[in-house]
Amino acid sequence: MQTGTKISGVLHVTLVGWALFGGTFRSEPLPFEVQDVSVISAEEYAALTAPKQAPEVVDAPSDLQQPEQPDDQVAVPAPAEPEPEQAPPEPVAQPEPEPEPQPDVVAEPPDPEVVEETPTLEQPDPEEVALLPPGPRPQPRPADRVAPQPVAPPPPDVKPDDVDTPPVSAEEGAEEQQPEQEETAQKEATDQIVTEAEESPDPAAQSSPRPKSRPSRPKPEPVQTAEQEDPPDTSPNTQDAVEDALAEALGGAQAAPAPSGPPLTGGEKDALRIAVSNCWNVGSLSTDALNTTVVVSVAMQPDGRPISNSVRLLDSSGGSSAAAQQAFEAARRAIVRCGAKGYDLPTEKYGQWQNIEMTFNPERMRIK
Amino acid sequence: MMKFLTSLFLGTALLVAPAQAQNQPLRIEITEGVIEPLPFAAPNFVPDTPAAAEYSAQLARVVAADLSGTGLFREIGSDAYISQVSSFEAPVQFADWKAINAQALVTGAVNVSGNQLTVRFRIWDVFSGAELGNGLQFAGTTDGWRRMAHKVADQVYSRITGETGYFDSRVAFVSESGPKNQRRKRLAIMDYDGANVQYLTDSSAIVLAPRFSPTGDRVLYTSYESGTPRIYVLDVGRVQRRVLQSQEGTMSFAPRFSPDGQTVLYSLAQGGNTDLWSMNIGSGQSARLTNAPSIETAPSYSPDGSQIVFESDRSGTPQLYIMPARGGEARRISFGKGRYGTPVWSPRGDYIAFTKQNKGRFHIGVMRTDGSEERLLTASFLDEGPTWAPNGRVIMFTRETQGASGRSALYSVDISGRNLRPVRTPDGGSDPAWSPLQ
Repeated sequence: MQTGTKISGVLHVTLVGWALFGGTFRSEPLPFEVQDVSVISAEEYAALTAPKQAPEVVDAPSDLQQPEQPDDQVAVPAPAEPEPEQAPPEPVAQPEPEPEPQPDVVAEPPDPEVVEETPTLEQPDPEEVALLPPGPRPQPRPADRVAPQPVAPPPPDVKPDDVDTPPVSAEEGAEEQQPEQEETAQKEATDQIVTEAEESPDPAAQSSPRPKSRPSRPKPEPVQTAEQEDPPDTSPNTQDAVEDALAEALGGAQAAPAPSGPPLTGGEKDALRIAVSNCWNVGSLSTDALNTTVVVSVAMQPDGRPISNSVRLLDSSGGSSAAAQQAFEAARRAIVRCGAKGYDLPTEKYGQWQNIEMTFNPERMRIK
Repeated sequence: MMKFLTSLFLGTALLVAPAQAQNQPLRIEITEGVIEPLPFAAPNFVPDTPAAAEYSAQLARVVAADLSGTGLFREIGSDAYISQVSSFEAPVQFADWKAINAQALVTGAVNVSGNQLTVRFRIWDVFSGAELGNGLQFAGTTDGWRRMAHKVADQVYSRITGETGYFDSRVAFVSESGPKNQRRKRLAIMDYDGANVQYLTDSSAIVLAPRFSPTGDRVLYTSYESGTPRIYVLDVGRVQRRVLQSQEGTMSFAPRFSPDGQTVLYSLAQGGNTDLWSMNIGSGQSARLTNAPSIETAPSYSPDGSQIVFESDRSGTPQLYIMPARGGEARRISFGKGRYGTPVWSPRGDYIAFTKQNKGRFHIGVMRTDGSEERLLTASFLDEGPTWAPNGRVIMFTRETQGASGRSALYSVDISGRNLRPVRTPDGGSDPAWSPLQ
């Protein structure tokens, strides 16, 4: 055997031995993090996640959603139950004796006596209540008014009105004295009719009413334009941006001295639409009138108020002539009533809204 | 030359555009409105004579109560009035009524001469400053002053809503008194608002389910006077009755007049089976309409008299079916969960009201005549027996409370489900039947 071969063999054996036992291929496991994971079922997961959703819907006073009591007489004593719970005047009285004991306060617990008396006063006599039809008293509806969007109840010291009006008070030192104005707010409203059968037995409200936002009014453009109005827009959300851009572009591009001003922006038209909607009461209309769409024209004064005797019925569709007349009268009431203080329209664009054609389409109101 | 023409065209366009802008109106579409009672004022009617003074306020109060009771109107109290109506012919001070947000105004005058009462009235759209229709005048006796007030209210309702009113109508019902295990039942009739109650029978026998004739002068009802249920017809004016169906060994119940008043539909139980029959009132001839081992009952005609809606358990549970008025193949129209019964066709023909029992609760509901658009209007321990107002917009029904001391009372509800309210009766009440307009 050649010497070179021996040397090679020895070196290879040495190399293999070093690789196996010298630490090149470590048998120790790589670093590994272990976390304890417990497997849960879908039901358990739903139960765990459910409480996170519940607080979103619990927002209204529970009284409105109380399931009705089938017996009117039985329901009457209910107010007596909370009385004992209100009895904690004692905790209030306890801290006081420390600095200066007042035996009179502690000695007269009148509340328990009232609790004792109340049920006896309200014991119903079946024969004597005959004049009052028995049975569960109709549950109060969430609100007596149905509006396009739910409206929260106004503060108690605010005058209810068809429009929201911020308070204005005389301010000393102001550059321009503004007439004082009483704060008004819209009446409480829901967005759909809820029948007794549809009321949820769950005392918690299913949704919280959101106050309606007032559409923003853009700043008036300094340059007037002669461009005319678009046809009636049926999808304001998609066209608003286009109309705003068009109005801005035209207002900046043309310097014609026409008094009409640039076209109304989508926001300005929406503001007018919402203002009229707040007074368009279809609750007293017949079924036939609710199937009738009317087109009404009205001439406007520069201060935004409609000229009452200018309201005309231009066209109607879907119902009889009598129904059209009822629908027209409801539309006329809406225009005149909500415009009594003047619609919020840009004065510099008076030419654009001097004459308005309003189409009152009750299709969406039929399904309320 | 080309530049000149182009400039001319552009100049013309710029001149014409503003003119067009001035001529074309702004167009918007209103698709959302509000649903709320319409505020109105009904000041006391002006008395033309001293003797009319006692009626001036009473008439206005009944008119206002009628309108407010619909849930579609809300009266503005007289304490809010800025001006008073002292003369029927004087111009209306619209600004004063606008200021208190009265959208409609009813002005009237009343004249009494002997026992003759004359009522004149006008209806105003306050914000438009226009009269709604022309003034009207009703004349009658002083005894009928409430009815005249109802007629005025019907006109106001009709002119504002466009629908026929229902105030000048009556309700037949079963008056119930005494404890539940010894309930005394009498047939009674009253104005729709609970006034002028009259008893038509005594409490010696149990009476059930009165039904008005199309002219309102007769009432069909079921009585246990003979020991088994029999159908009687009663002349309301003369308070005279006669048995309509008395076949031995049978029980007859659930009668209903046809729209022409010539035929009566009813259920006949014979040999343990209940089927629908019809009877010609003039000839007394009866005809079987159904022949099935199941229970068929509670028939009700369509307004044109061509079809019948009824209740049957032929599918296993009580459901609603429609068939031709002379019998024939029936088609089922109720498919929801629960049991359906006591169907009644609306006088307008557009809806069918019914009683539904589901999950231990009773409901009054309405559905289209093909069974679609079912909507439950009420929910309680026991609601049953709907009857339609003459204009088909309001439903009256029986509500009974739970327990040994439970009582029956009449309730009414708008077909939208709004304005659920009790109907005043001197005692308990059940099985209401609304008359046509008088």
